[in-house]
Amino acid sequence: MMKTMLTAMKTSISEVMETMFFLPVEFSEEPSIKEIKGIKGRQNKACRLDFSGDRSGSVYLLVPRGLLSQMAENFMGEPAESLGDEILEGTLTETLNMITGNALRKVKAEKPFALGIPKLVPGAEFPETEGTLIIDTPGPQMAIHITLW
Amino acid sequence: MSYSILIVDDSLPMRSVIKKTIRAAGFGQSEFLEAANGKEALTLLKNNWVDMVLTDHNMPVMNGLDFILAVKADELLKTIPVVVISTEGNESRIKEFLDGGAVGYLAKPFAAEAIRDLIVKFLGEASDDENNVDGNENLDF
Repeated sequence: MMKTMLTAMKTSISEVMETMFFLPVEFSEEPSIKEIKGIKGRQNKACRLDFSGDRSGSVYLLVPRGLLSQMAENFMGEPAESLGDEILEGTLTETLNMITGNALRKVKAEKPFALGIPKLVPGAEFPETEGTLIIDTPGPQMAIHITLW
Repeated sequence: MSYSILIVDDSLPMRSVIKKTIRAAGFGQSEFLEAANGKEALTLLKNNWVDMVLTDHNMPVMNGLDFILAVKADELLKTIPVVVISTEGNESRIKEFLDGGAVGYLAKPFAAEAIRDLIVKFLGEASDDENNVDGNENLDF
């Protein structure tokens, strides 16, 4: 199941990042803890979204602040300098919402998946266990993690 | 002709992007109302007439499906076309939206053109004098 979810997640991330943020992405699978810690060590923002269905779990998204500013600028069509924390955090949670919802639509399920509401969490809470993808962008890397319960 | 459109989404950036996209599609003179959840939207609808509602589903306080059911149960509001724009889009969920009274569904992420097509489908083509009222806006949001 984890492999299926990660495959769907990669397709979804590419679609969301290219369609809504005009940023092409590539993936590093099975990153080392050192690589994950490298992203966690930067100024960043993170959020978490729980889902339920055939399988339940949580998805975490960790984005360095510089990349989040770029994403918000591309999304809103306004200079990053004019965008406050509310917009940055809204962009972050909406990104996770779109990525997760779009990914779960691609997974065959007998019981339809239902999404929770994305919540901001401290970057330090981003898990360092398996189920993590590191996403290469034209700017800094970001990371996503799936925990299945 | 200008329209009044209610956008219901708990994401401030998403509301803003949808609004800009509609303006850029030639509906620059339209008025927009915004709500962060279904309950807020129902409060707005008590005092404001709108031509169309675009709503997310996955929101706190009152989700999109419950909001649609409330709108369709209200004699004064039930004729307003409601379109769902949401990440939740498996077949059974979409059926719930449509059975509940939504007239359309658009999955996130979406291309700007998809929003324009939705508005045109339910409100008609924008007139020439409405095109690009803001001048510097285009469909590449």
